[in-house]
Amino acid sequence: MSKADYDVLIVGSGAGGAMAAYELTKAGIKVLLLEAGRHYDPKTETPMFKRNADAPLMASGNTDKDFGYYDATVDGGWTVPDEPYTTDEDSEFLWWRARMLGGRTNHWGRYSLRFSEHDFKGKSRDGLGADWPFEYSDIAPWYDKTEALVGVCGTNTGLDDMPDSAPDVLQPPPAPRVPELLVAAAANKLGLKAVPMHRAVLTRPKDDRAACFYATPCGHGCSIGAAFQTTTSLLPMAHKTGNLTVITNAMVKQVTTDANGQVTGVTYIDKTSSEQLTLPARVVILAASACESARIMLNSASDSHPQGLANSSGQLGKNLMDSTGAGLGATIPALRNRPRYNEDGHTANHLFIPWWGHKAQENGELNFPRGYHFEIGSGFREPGAWVSGDFKGYGKALKDEAKANYGAFVYFALRGEMLPNPDCYMDIDPDVTDKWGIPVARFHWKWSEHELNQVAHGLKTAKDLLQTMGATVGDLPSPEQAIAKGGQIIHEVGTTRMGESKEDSVTNQWGQTWDCPNLFVMDGGVFASNPHKNCTLTILTLAMRNANWLANQLHKGAL
Amino acid sequence: MSLSPFASRLPQMTRRESLKLFGLMVAGAAVPGLAACTSTPETGTAALQNATPQAGHWPTTDIQPIVLKGYGKDPNLIIPPTSPWPKTLSEAQLQLVARISNVLVPAENGQPGALEIGAPHVVDEWISAPYSGQQRDRDTILRLLIWLDDEAILLHSEPFSALDNARQMVILNTIAFGTEDAPVEFHPPAQAFNRLRTLILAAYFCSVPGSKEIGYMGNVAIAGDYPGPTKEAMDHLDDVLASLGLAEYAYTPVGG
Repeated sequence: MSKADYDVLIVGSGAGGAMAAYELTKAGIKVLLLEAGRHYDPKTETPMFKRNADAPLMASGNTDKDFGYYDATVDGGWTVPDEPYTTDEDSEFLWWRARMLGGRTNHWGRYSLRFSEHDFKGKSRDGLGADWPFEYSDIAPWYDKTEALVGVCGTNTGLDDMPDSAPDVLQPPPAPRVPELLVAAAANKLGLKAVPMHRAVLTRPKDDRAACFYATPCGHGCSIGAAFQTTTSLLPMAHKTGNLTVITNAMVKQVTTDANGQVTGVTYIDKTSSEQLTLPARVVILAASACESARIMLNSASDSHPQGLANSSGQLGKNLMDSTGAGLGATIPALRNRPRYNEDGHTANHLFIPWWGHKAQENGELNFPRGYHFEIGSGFREPGAWVSGDFKGYGKALKDEAKANYGAFVYFALRGEMLPNPDCYMDIDPDVTDKWGIPVARFHWKWSEHELNQVAHGLKTAKDLLQTMGATVGDLPSPEQAIAKGGQIIHEVGTTRMGESKEDSVTNQWGQTWDCPNLFVMDGGVFASNPHKNCTLTILTLAMRNANWLANQLHKGAL
Repeated sequence: MSLSPFASRLPQMTRRESLKLFGLMVAGAAVPGLAACTSTPETGTAALQNATPQAGHWPTTDIQPIVLKGYGKDPNLIIPPTSPWPKTLSEAQLQLVARISNVLVPAENGQPGALEIGAPHVVDEWISAPYSGQQRDRDTILRLLIWLDDEAILLHSEPFSALDNARQMVILNTIAFGTEDAPVEFHPPAQAFNRLRTLILAAYFCSVPGSKEIGYMGNVAIAGDYPGPTKEAMDHLDDVLASLGLAEYAYTPVGG
């Protein structure tokens, strides 16, 4: 296929872009995919079975490798060389980016929880934020298809915060570990439930991908394809159709439009030559990540689109949301010196605590409108650059203290829903450009009392759980001190939200922009709200559903 | 009555006065190599004169940061660099760290200690790294090494490494047991020692023998399903649940 021989041009090879490419190419549509980062091959580049001691600084994180030496992220993290972003002087915001084929799917946490009808219709219930332009029942079959394709392990719990998958969709979850079982008992006593986490990790082989062998943290990437990433699944599958062409090191600057304001293609920088090139396209799908896609659109203003491309609603860049994040941990005395066994498992939560407070919120018993869940940090992890314990002296007593504490620490990580607010948005910095001459994103951020009240509740609940397990917990920090910075949980969404009407949203339910029928957004930007359940599964699901719809439109000649 | 680790102090003099009296060369001179990382090397005496009496003789020497590039944002993950930046500890400093490593985690019963697994080199790589966290530790740990020599010279007119084992331990005992019972002048070196101790412990437990000793059993491929806890581990959990009054709340699998 020559580069000009394609029907759809996709920007970005992460969750949204790769799923769209898979769905379209499978339907016989020719796709050209541009990726801003370099080519990346997990089969040859993943550090499987590597020990922390074999890497500099015991593999701990720093500004070069924020999440540690072996984290899969290439040329990214909180900073990308020569590609800055800015914040206004009153805001703190962190933006995690990757510059590699597959994007952030190469390192993500793989937590894959469905949104529910409750999540999609928050505004109808409490009047806050925005509803999504479809019902849960519209998207449920697409969740099933996505989970089956991606491979998600977990259990149907029947809990109101966790919609069931269709029978036989989920793969079996791994057995819980000892600290998780202790948490589950403590939770049970407090009227909460710990249940199997849903994770995009194969526990049974699928396609060309092997089942998990329960070693090597998924954040390093997965050379055997057990932990889902697009570079071992959707992209190779799309390639096999013969309908996909990928150009890496292609940093998109703008979407081009004609005199009528309709999309004609994209302009990008070839990073290897620094040359600026323009490609024509019949249809463009932006899936560069919520903030990168919004940046491209804001940078694509023209006479027809004076506020930025497809921004007649004025919502482009607005409604920026992350998940709330906070944590509390303690050493559990009763877990000191517990019997050893291999607790690697699939290297993340086997159990977690889903949100339990829908009824309480319905009854007006809580002073915050939206829920959260707890992820559990615990286990006999591979020793690294930190050793837990209250150390004094030397010799055998010192080692004994370290050994006693090993695996005795339990940490609760809160992940909660935030509501959009007028103080949280992105625009284009008028004074700063990146290495490629592209004006950069500027972030504005302020948590509202909804999030702070939620975090205060979460800290108190975590303290109750820890005390129920026999831990001594000191005074709690204030929610202002405890809450993570905007962007820090890496669930940033909402900047090109979908909706029922072109007055208050950027796209319709298919991710098609209201203003340009041949421009689609298929990343987290289209989220109308940001439920606490981690965004990637829903990005994948929407991309599958919407690319399928697009394929039908193309086959019908409607576009 | 047990002897306080602080009993060997010279009670009639402040520490600062004592050092002035001895007029000793300390800091940069006593710790070869330090001058290499200071733009304006100070004598120890000058540095100490800047110290407040409350702070004892915690060094105020100007310690220059490492200004180098790190290993970058796309290093080789399969073959990590073995020498990502130049190590900066002098031979004398390395010896000091080696001595402390050996005291903290000595070899025993055929099990290697922190020295044998190379902890001093891990510390050297750590404090020589051009990242902010490591730079903070560099400042702390280099000051501790200076302090140890200053203290040795103050008490015995010889650098730390030249003292016999008993005298070294007397000094280390003043900073190795936290700050609760220690005079305020020992707090900065005690806190610094705490940081160095954690770093050396981490280096030890990261090593293959240390990792085995602490009981890490992962990083091995498992065929079939993850087996979960052993019977021994579950029996222990049952005891824990009973002791916490949680037995009746034990986890039961949900759904299907």
